[in-house]
Amino acid sequence: MAEQSEYVTLVSYDGFEYILPRSAACISGTIRRMLDPSSKFSEALTGRCVLENMTGIVLEKVCEYFLYNEKHKDQTNVPDMEIPPELCLELLMAADYLDT
Amino acid sequence: MATMRARQKIRAPRRGFASAQKTDDFDSIWTVLSSSLTEINTKNASALSFEELYRNAYKIVLMMRGEELYEKVKTLEQEWLQNEVQKRITGSISSSLIRSHKSVDVQDPASERRAAGEKFLAVLKGAWEDHQLCMGMITDVLMYMDRIVSGDHTKPSIYVAAMALFRDHVLRAAVSSDTQTNVANVLESTVLFMIQLERAGHMIERPLIRHCIQMLEGLYETTTEEESSKLYLTILEPAFLETSKEFYQAEGQRLLEIADATTFCRLASQRIAEEQERCRYTLSTITEQKILDLVDEELIRKNIEEVVNLEGTGVRYMLDHNQIDGLRNVYELNARVDKKKEALTKQVYSRIVELGREINASTTLAVQAPALSTGEKDAASGEKKSEKGKEKEKPAANQQTVIAIRWVDDILALKRQFDNIWGKAFLSDQGLQGSIMTSFSEFINMNPRCSEYLSLFFDENLKKGIKGKTESEVDTLLDNGITMLRYIKDKDLFETYYKKHLSRRLLMKRSASMDAERQMISKMKMEVGNQFTQRIEAMFKDMTISGDLTNSYKEHIARSGDPDQKRVDLEINVLTSTMWPMEIMPATKEGTVQLPCIFPREIDSLKQSFEKFYLDKHNGRKLSWQASMGTADVRASFHRSNGKVQRYELNVSTHALIILMLFNDVPSSESLTYEEIQVQTRIPDHDLIRNLQSLAVAPKTRVLKKEPMSKDVKPTDRFFFNNEFQSPFVKVRIGVVSGGANKVESLDQRKETEKKMNDERGGSIEAAIVRIMKQRKTLIHSQLMTEVLSQLSARFVPDVNMVKRRIESLIDREYLERVSEEPPTYGYVA
Repeated sequence: MAEQSEYVTLVSYDGFEYILPRSAACISGTIRRMLDPSSKFSEALTGRCVLENMTGIVLEKVCEYFLYNEKHKDQTNVPDMEIPPELCLELLMAADYLDT
Repeated sequence: MATMRARQKIRAPRRGFASAQKTDDFDSIWTVLSSSLTEINTKNASALSFEELYRNAYKIVLMMRGEELYEKVKTLEQEWLQNEVQKRITGSISSSLIRSHKSVDVQDPASERRAAGEKFLAVLKGAWEDHQLCMGMITDVLMYMDRIVSGDHTKPSIYVAAMALFRDHVLRAAVSSDTQTNVANVLESTVLFMIQLERAGHMIERPLIRHCIQMLEGLYETTTEEESSKLYLTILEPAFLETSKEFYQAEGQRLLEIADATTFCRLASQRIAEEQERCRYTLSTITEQKILDLVDEELIRKNIEEVVNLEGTGVRYMLDHNQIDGLRNVYELNARVDKKKEALTKQVYSRIVELGREINASTTLAVQAPALSTGEKDAASGEKKSEKGKEKEKPAANQQTVIAIRWVDDILALKRQFDNIWGKAFLSDQGLQGSIMTSFSEFINMNPRCSEYLSLFFDENLKKGIKGKTESEVDTLLDNGITMLRYIKDKDLFETYYKKHLSRRLLMKRSASMDAERQMISKMKMEVGNQFTQRIEAMFKDMTISGDLTNSYKEHIARSGDPDQKRVDLEINVLTSTMWPMEIMPATKEGTVQLPCIFPREIDSLKQSFEKFYLDKHNGRKLSWQASMGTADVRASFHRSNGKVQRYELNVSTHALIILMLFNDVPSSESLTYEEIQVQTRIPDHDLIRNLQSLAVAPKTRVLKKEPMSKDVKPTDRFFFNNEFQSPFVKVRIGVVSGGANKVESLDQRKETEKKMNDERGGSIEAAIVRIMKQRKTLIHSQLMTEVLSQLSARFVPDVNMVKRRIESLIDREYLERVSEEPPTYGYVA
């Protein structure tokens, strides 16, 4: 645990894995606490979070949002992100769950 | 987004793919959660998946049973704290800690108690840190629940609730079933004990205590967590302040008894630093101000006065021995408790006045001494005499001058000493400066001759003191004098003396440097004001004009082609009589107009020639000749008995010149009696005696012989021209005995000066009254008095009775009138 990896892995319920920068993943309050090194949960030790209630499609969109958010962090007048309407309810639930 | 693409179909979220596998049953999920939470409490979290716990809590909340979960978690934590943590802590409390809580002053098992205390604190600290960490993790896991359940602020977050549990079930838990003492009490007594140890000079485990204090700071009495309800503030701080108060009361007493003032101040400063450090590293910074106030109050304010006045070691001793560090300590301590530093100020003040009185007393003593013993004073004034060399003066008067100058020097030295202390030890404090000033002014004005002495000091320095000194040295010297002038209340008296002394310097050309004189005047002007120096400046102007006049007279003579080859060179000073001190002009001194002395023919023609020249230039002026102030250079031939002729150039006073010229017409074997001389010259008795003394009695300049040979000159004495006069120099300066030098006045002169002073003051007071009344038309008596006093205080301190008399006299002369009696009011009569 001495060296914190710069990247973390997010795994969906159906097995898709997404590797993204730690800083981007920590936009989510839940994931940030999950990875907090002072609490020694297994996720913090391995840097791998299995999100049991998300499908790969939803998680992909979530990751896309993380990166989108990080990229445009300090800017104004940012173009809206493309959200497929059929996913929006599931994304809302994911947002609630992830405290994003 | 949904409205924008309203036509598109929104797919319902697929539910249940996660929960489908497991039951949605609350109890089963709780079982999983509770076992995990216990794992966290026992620090076995690494096997747990945060996501799983989080998801479980999430599900429970979605089932709308979040509050139930909240309560269950609380119960779980409470049981954990009660059963595990509390036992561990009470177990670590040894009997010695409890026992000594009951009687704090049991000192014997100190080391045992200390070890037990440290162990207890360490366990408590460990428990606290564990609790904090675990609750942090649990709160994280239950974040979703917190958001929903405590989101509306009806309940404290689970973290706060758990902290309150710790407070109630660990700190407030009874140590054992049969006592009232709880853990917090033990903690308090232990911490206080540790501090007591540290105050006694032992090393203690500061970080450990600091951690426990932090714990108390992290816990609150209420769940709303206001600043003021910190357990630290409610439990420990009052107890700490209470014991500190007792400690410092005792400490103050102890130090007063055993230590001297220096040590007291050093230790007190040390204590203050210690307490500051303690608050920073052991306790909490919020206590710093409170404990410092307490130390100030108990240790310093109650004792500082005694310390300052401590016999033998107090401020007085420090002042005498110039202990800057000690004084600085006293000052700093006193400044902490009292803005005005009253105790210190008082002591400094009285010490200065005391020292000043000593100087005054020694001066008075020395003034009286010369009358008794001549031998001693000669030894004392030896230094001065060697400087003066040729000047022949009566040693007694000379001695007084030395005393006067020594008085000024002593005071200046004292002033320097205190300035030094003030700058270094009192950090240039304004209030103390004021006190030092007043004290100096007080004792300086106690000496009735202060003005005269100071003026003599200037006189001495401007005559010879500044020879061979650099400009800056002269500058400091004058500045020192000016500083003293600032203290003198009767500045008009000083002005009189200064003018008198200055006039002598100017007319006899004794001043060492005109630049220094001018510098002096500009300094005085800055210090006391324009009005003060006006007349003095006028004296300088007279001198310059006289120089021009002399030159133009010389030219005039050269042009007119006076055939007289034996013409006498004239250097004249025309003085404005109102500007110059009148007592140097003896003709007006005694009230009766004295006939001017008879000048020899050569001089008289010169005098008439100049008078004509001057009156041609300035119509309507009157010249009166002051022979007593002049000097003359005479070339005198002495016919030795062996036939040789020896020539000397004699520098004598004008009166002496007149006397010597008489002997031109007298054969060398003949003599003149005192009376003959007086009749032929009409020189006033007083001047004649002095001049004859210097010509015939003073050993080095005996140009005349006297019969009988004695010190005094009597009307029956006979005088011969001394052809055997010898001197190693060609030019011989013959000073007039006690005429030329400025020295302390005799009692009679002094009375006269005072009388004149009073007349002059009377004039000033009347002028002031009229000025004020002219402006105000009517004024109540008391107001008039205040105004007069304030107007005149720059020059002197008027006597109230004198002012009253002046008002009376103005009423008599119908400048003022009484307007009403109650209250007494005056009106101005135009």
